[in-house]
Amino acid sequence: MTFDLTISDDQRQILDAAKIMLGRNYPQSRLRDSNACDSMTPLVEFGAFVLALPDTQDGAGFSVVEEALLHAAFGRHLVSPSSMAAAIGLRIALATGRDDLANAIGTGEIKVCAGTETGAGMLLFEPDGAAQAILRRADGIRLVDLAEADIIPQTAMGHGRPVARATTPAAVSNNAPAGEDLNLIATLLTCAQLLGVATGARDLAVDYAGIREQFGRPIGSFQAIKHHCANMAIGVDMLSAQLDMAAIALRDRREDAAFQIAALVRLAPKIALSNARLGIQIHGGIGFSAEADAQLYIKHAHVLGALAQGKDLLSLPAPLAPLEEN
Amino acid sequence: MQLDPTADDLIFRESARVWLAENVPASDAPHEGQPARKYATDWVARCHSGGWSGLAWPEAHGGRGLSAARLIIWYEEYVRARAPSALDCTFVALNHAGPTLIACGTDEQKAFHLSRILEGRSIWCQGFSEPGSGSDLASLATVGKVDGEHLVVNGQKIWSSYADIADYQELLIRTEQGSQRHRGLSWVICDMSLPGITVRPIRNMAGVSHFAEIFYDDVRIPLSDVVGKVNDGWNVAMTTLGFERRTAAIALQLELSVKVEDLITLAEPATGTATAHLLADLRAEAAALRAMTYRTLLREPETPFDGSMMRLVFAELSQKIHRAAIDILGPEALVAGRWTHDYMESYSETIAGGTAEIQRNIIAERILGLPREARP
Repeated sequence: MTFDLTISDDQRQILDAAKIMLGRNYPQSRLRDSNACDSMTPLVEFGAFVLALPDTQDGAGFSVVEEALLHAAFGRHLVSPSSMAAAIGLRIALATGRDDLANAIGTGEIKVCAGTETGAGMLLFEPDGAAQAILRRADGIRLVDLAEADIIPQTAMGHGRPVARATTPAAVSNNAPAGEDLNLIATLLTCAQLLGVATGARDLAVDYAGIREQFGRPIGSFQAIKHHCANMAIGVDMLSAQLDMAAIALRDRREDAAFQIAALVRLAPKIALSNARLGIQIHGGIGFSAEADAQLYIKHAHVLGALAQGKDLLSLPAPLAPLEEN
Repeated sequence: MQLDPTADDLIFRESARVWLAENVPASDAPHEGQPARKYATDWVARCHSGGWSGLAWPEAHGGRGLSAARLIIWYEEYVRARAPSALDCTFVALNHAGPTLIACGTDEQKAFHLSRILEGRSIWCQGFSEPGSGSDLASLATVGKVDGEHLVVNGQKIWSSYADIADYQELLIRTEQGSQRHRGLSWVICDMSLPGITVRPIRNMAGVSHFAEIFYDDVRIPLSDVVGKVNDGWNVAMTTLGFERRTAAIALQLELSVKVEDLITLAEPATGTATAHLLADLRAEAAALRAMTYRTLLREPETPFDGSMMRLVFAELSQKIHRAAIDILGPEALVAGRWTHDYMESYSETIAGGTAEIQRNIIAERILGLPREARP
């Protein structure tokens, strides 16, 4: 079949294996007591960063479609955005002929963290032990060597996971950003992780609504709660459909790839945040506490949202524009 | 996951594009009455003579039995060519009544009705809702009593689109005396010219009369016009609704993408303005609705209710687009025009065919598995 959006057996196998690996190494409960940066070692061993590289580059030969599905699973487990940074950093190193660096990223010897530029310099997420950073700036993404950077840890929003400021090394502005294709892949994977956050927030809230009782019955039997949950489910369905569309367009180098990615990035941060916020509300008092997991999704959605940037959607040609009238 | 057209698909797309370019009517569709009927039936007849009607119907019943991929290609071309909206007075016949007869009708019923529908010779309306049975359809009270070879029907239906110009009605009535809820109903073909039927058109908030209420006073309908078994009407009705989820909505959903493009052309927003942000959001949501539409067609659903999420996104996005149009037009929106008319009509989107609130209940209970509401 030429038109088929079924998840293939290969894709299912990757997701099943990932589920086991993530459950073992990145249970959401790990974040209750510790704000330590996530280790990337289990992901290296899983082959996550070389999943979509061709065999000729020691990759597993899959595509960005499989990689996007995998990163959605990462997002569900609130895995550090360093996972996206490694996958992209490795590609930038290869594209610029730095095979040793690519190899070191692939084996986990060199850690890459994710960062974005603000008016005050670089903001790095979970930077501990990172020698390189994927930096998002208005003009694109770059792989930045942190050797020269002065990294100053900061207290994160809501005392969340580690964040640091760093001065942007002078060399950054002299180098051209990575190619547009890598920019699109970085956006795709970040949005996939946002889908995972939206999905995780939905599931946590739906589970809680089914067990928490008030007025003698589960709160999930009340319409007000049901409708919040339905809205979360709709957001997940929209976003995952658009993620598939964008990933396929990018894999197949279709001419609407940039449009589909720009549409995706318009939706992903909003839906992830909306689901995370509804999740807090459904949990009530415990949702506002740092002792329950609901709040973790808000903070993670904000971090990923800061890393998700796309082209102006209105500047791109639409695939379903009306045909010229004769 | 593939969206790869074959060489034959490309030829199909080209032939669809060429045919549409030559045949799509230049004038806009009238909104009501006989002019609406003539415009819509002429269009169906033209599609039929060109080999473009009943695309999703099986070939054995006069359709083309197209694959989901071909339907997608056809409707992409259809909306880009600005072909007439699929939601006109032929919608019920082509997308509800016909498929229901194909699934549940007798050979005689199929032989008589199917070609009439495909050729644009008959118009159907729906007779489901009643004054006391809206969201709670299963509480319906219009009765049919068996009398010899006939059902004698008494009661009232409402919100029936195009009942004033329809030839037939898909009528859901209670045929088992004293039955409750979904049991004891029958799905009946009602000839709208039968004695005892009174149609009173209802003007809607857009100022046009395309729906109506219908009164039945001792209307005698032959038992041979019951579709499926007597008292099994709920299952027959569910067959229709299941079909609707998969194909009937494609054109309407893709049409929203074209509407957003029209709105961008209308507004010409400057970069970075609030209007530009709003239009970018609408464009993204229309893209996602298109992705949901394709997924619904091209992937086995996890539950039979998955389509309800897509339906709700469609209804609410349609309203958002039309509200944005009114904001962009400013005071000019107060003068009747295309956007103004469609804006008024769009208020029905979150009501007709199951309110947004009922849809959300279904999503929460049937997809997410949340506990059923406490019932009185």
